[in-house]
Amino acid sequence: MITIKELSDDNLFTAGHTACPGCGVAMSIRNAIRVLGKDTVVYVPASCAVVFGTTFPYGAWKVPFFHTAFENTGACLSGMQAAFEKKGKKVTVVGFAGDGGTYDIGLQSMSGAAERNDDVLYICLDNEAYMNTGIQRSGGTPFGAWTTTTPVGNVVQGNRRFKKNLGDIVAAHEIPYYATLSIGQPLDFIRKVEKAKNMRGFRFLHMFTPCIPGWKMDPAKTVEVTKRAVQSGMWTLYEIENGDKRITYKPGKMKSVKDYLMMQGRFRHMSEEDIKKLQMWVCKKWNLHYKEKGAPDVCEILPPVEHHAVTEEHREMHGP
Amino acid sequence: MAAQTLAEAAVSEGNYAVAFPYFGAERRGAPVLAFTRIDSKKIFSKTQVYAPDCVVVLDDSLLDTIDVVAGLKPKGMAIINSREKPEDIDLGKIIDTATVNATSIALEILKAPITNTAILGAFAKATGIIKIESLEESIKRKFGEKLGAKVGERNALAAWTAYERTITGKSRGVKKLEARKQWLPTHQEIPVGGCLIEGKTDAGLIGPGSFIENKVSGWATYRPLRDKAKCTMCLLCWFYCPEGTIVRISDRGDLMTNYDYCKGCGVCANECPVDAIKMVRARI
Amino acid sequence: MKKVITGDHAVAIGAKLCRVEVVPAFPITPQTLIIEHIADFVSDGDLDAKFLTMESEHSVMSAAAGASAAGARVFTATSSQGLAFMHEMLYATAPLRLPVVMANASRTLGGPPGIWCEYNDSMGARDSGWLQLYVEDNQEALDMVIQSFRIAEDKRVLLPVMPCLDGFVLTHTVEPVDIPEQEEVDSFLLPYEPDIILDPKRPAMIGTFMPSEYIMELRRQTAGAFESAKEVIRQINSEFAQKFGRDYGGLIDTYMMEDAHTALITMGTVTSTSREVVDELRRKGEKVGLIKLRFFRPFPSNELKKAVSHISALGVFDRSISYHGGGPVYNEVRSALYGMTMPVINHLAGIGGRDVTKEQIMKMFELTQKAGKGEKVNDISWHNTRGETN
Ligand SMILES: Cc1ncc(C[n+]2csc(CCOP(=O)(O)OP(=O)(O)O)c2C)c(N)n1
Ligand code: SF4
Ligand code: SF4
Ligand code: SF4
Ligand SMILES: [Mg+2]
Repeated sequence: MITIKELSDDNLFTAGHTACPGCGVAMSIRNAIRVLGKDTVVYVPASCAVVFGTTFPYGAWKVPFFHTAFENTGACLSGMQAAFEKKGKKVTVVGFAGDGGTYDIGLQSMSGAAERNDDVLYICLDNEAYMNTGIQRSGGTPFGAWTTTTPVGNVVQGNRRFKKNLGDIVAAHEIPYYATLSIGQPLDFIRKVEKAKNMRGFRFLHMFTPCIPGWKMDPAKTVEVTKRAVQSGMWTLYEIENGDKRITYKPGKMKSVKDYLMMQGRFRHMSEEDIKKLQMWVCKKWNLHYKEKGAPDVCEILPPVEHHAVTEEHREMHGP
Repeated sequence: MAAQTLAEAAVSEGNYAVAFPYFGAERRGAPVLAFTRIDSKKIFSKTQVYAPDCVVVLDDSLLDTIDVVAGLKPKGMAIINSREKPEDIDLGKIIDTATVNATSIALEILKAPITNTAILGAFAKATGIIKIESLEESIKRKFGEKLGAKVGERNALAAWTAYERTITGKSRGVKKLEARKQWLPTHQEIPVGGCLIEGKTDAGLIGPGSFIENKVSGWATYRPLRDKAKCTMCLLCWFYCPEGTIVRISDRGDLMTNYDYCKGCGVCANECPVDAIKMVRARI
Repeated sequence: MKKVITGDHAVAIGAKLCRVEVVPAFPITPQTLIIEHIADFVSDGDLDAKFLTMESEHSVMSAAAGASAAGARVFTATSSQGLAFMHEMLYATAPLRLPVVMANASRTLGGPPGIWCEYNDSMGARDSGWLQLYVEDNQEALDMVIQSFRIAEDKRVLLPVMPCLDGFVLTHTVEPVDIPEQEEVDSFLLPYEPDIILDPKRPAMIGTFMPSEYIMELRRQTAGAFESAKEVIRQINSEFAQKFGRDYGGLIDTYMMEDAHTALITMGTVTSTSREVVDELRRKGEKVGLIKLRFFRPFPSNELKKAVSHISALGVFDRSISYHGGGPVYNEVRSALYGMTMPVINHLAGIGGRDVTKEQIMKMFELTQKAGKGEKVNDISWHNTRGETN
């Protein structure tokens, strides 16, 4: 297994790209492509990554890059792969799609590629909203979160639905590999990308990728927020290999979701009642993922440790 | 936001005004362009502004790379966020110039380097096109609506403070800034379908990897300083930097930060397990 | 070798002879037979291609774009709602200059749904950057698949091509078709060798986000490729005629036009029927002629001008409506003939798959002749339409 030290120094996604400072998507792309190496061909559907990674005539990618539309990552990958296979070329065909491009508008295309078990690697960069168009709700937006289409109003506050369980949807296609990743767990991250790269068939890597303006957070906290997501159970790290599910990182005692929420302006408006609702959802998920067989359900939450105020800068830029 | 607020203030004085951004592709923190047109009668023109009466520069580091007064009318004015006096600013032309240290005002009053309201105070003072009172009103209204009355008031205070601290004078006209080169192929020259492989033009690299010539240091307000003595070479900062700013040197035995690409996000400092990295102001 | 086959079968055989490498597919009547035949070829080992069963037409064109960008020769087929569903992707393949060939089985589009012939499906895509051509029989359907690849992949063109064949009237009708030998096709159509593809050995960026400083030049470039396509189409038509003995005339074909006083412009299978109508009218001593509009994109303005320079009235057949009053072909023809003084009138017929009979075509000639004599007729006539009097 590759460690951080052994990672390549090649910058296959070069500096000078135009993502926001601290962008979790850029961070994940850079490290994924470090592991995938240069025999890779990339498809990026409409999303932030298409814009910050290429603006004619410039580009950050040093591997072949293709883009056509928003909702067709799965299909484009299948077509590319078919051509390479026909030509007898061995390349890793990889898609980097957003949550909007995967949970919502691209679900059908992804499902088609998954169901056909086409030999491609699908990476979902989940920043939990449509960021490229300026932060609108997607099926991946968590309960309570502010977005511009789930505003904090007098009557309704934030997103009223819980995050779609994409993992189960993807896994239901009985594909060789599905894994969740977080940049805050570098070794786990590297191992899963490497593993997916070396498997055949449809592989899906689900990356948790903070967005600075979309989550209204301090850019320095990109990694920290992913760690807190894992510690609270908002994001769980596991993999499903040929139907066998394995937890790849189990946090210690469950931390309050508040720990996680307070770092981000998008949750700051949440009422105690809503936080409780979200906490119950997390507890259910926690038990589903982490509880040993036969053990009692847990929902004993450690009190929040530290409240991170959202900085003045973010309030000014993006509202309360 | 500044362009819009200015337009609102102008309209509140009985004028007609339009404000619009230039829709660029870059994300937050990248240099952006916005326009405001003010007239006593309805404005029909829907084009961008090419020969302004006044240029407002929110970040004086741009002066090193962009000829900000290129299209400015001969009797026009430049308003610049800078700690320098107009006489110490070289715009390549001797023109009416006003300066104010909007960044320090913003840090003082708003506790964040957001200078767009402060600079409007300087605009009111230097040009007299709008009254500071109308500006105050529209700032309070615009920011108040979105972010609460307190934020509105503080921004108005920033504008007033800048109004009072603005210095007017004449710029120097020594340096010759070459217009930034841009590759502008004809329709016969542009590669078929816009499909690009690595290439070089008079204006620099194009195609895969060519963003490497895009220096983004201008985005940064802070930048990291690494204490080599403390560093354990765990490489976490190298791994996490979203920009690829930190590179391994000396046969992977050491690290170097290439500030050309650092956007000052602070992730490296936040993640360093031994606190070897401190963020410092990139410029005052 | 002669075979009695459907138009769909002929198209599928055409694709096979072109040794297509990737075929993403999705069923829709009356195109389905095409992809079914190709699936058979692949399953039987008669065609060495990747056949992809996609989950929608949008994905069909997406996979086609991906495969083409990766350097493969790509073929597919669709119709009507399917073409509409992939509409967005038509606009991706063309400007990126990906020479995909897709047969369209012309079929009425939209609500209320029908499955029969109309051109409102392909007409809606006329400005997507695809070359469009319309065939009149199964032989031409097969031959034009082969020519389409030549045209599409020509370095002066590099644009996707859409041969359209009339739903049911050709797709499900059997007639004798001469099937060219594989070796002959191989020497006519060489393997596809694009300059820039997705290849890690020589990385390229295809489909980058593009600011306004560049898009206008790119559009101009594509418009230029449409202009060059005209010469390429003529050249390839001649080459094909030499090799296979069938000359289709290039962008347009004419019949009995030399001394004609009145002419009708037709597309697709109505051309075929009209040939017999012209014969009948000629027997009666009437100087009528026929112009077959083969390519609708690029639009053969100069050819048309030349073909009608000596006639006194022109009728234009349209198999769809453009809601400016007449059909889209009428619009284009009139603007091509701008400055000419002869009356040009529009004949709408066959919409929704209604059969276009000889009587209707006779009527088209009759009305056009009247207009030529200075009698008053409607500019736009709806033929065989209840409630309309022409
Ligand atoms: C068919 C279509 N509808 C809408 C859009 C506009 N659009 C472009 S990117 C985007 C949102 C992308 O969201 P996501 O996939 O989550 O990626 P992110 O930008 O958040 O990384 C939208 C709505 C489009 N390009 N195409
Ligand atoms: S908006 Fe969010 S996802 Fe997009 S570039 Fe900025 S931080 Fe990254
Ligand atoms: S501040 Fe951000 S961009 Fe600069 S070196 Fe550190 S991680 Fe990289
Ligand atoms: S994170 Fe800190 S200790 Fe680790 S390499 Fe960077 S500066 Fe050194
Ligand atoms: Mg998103």
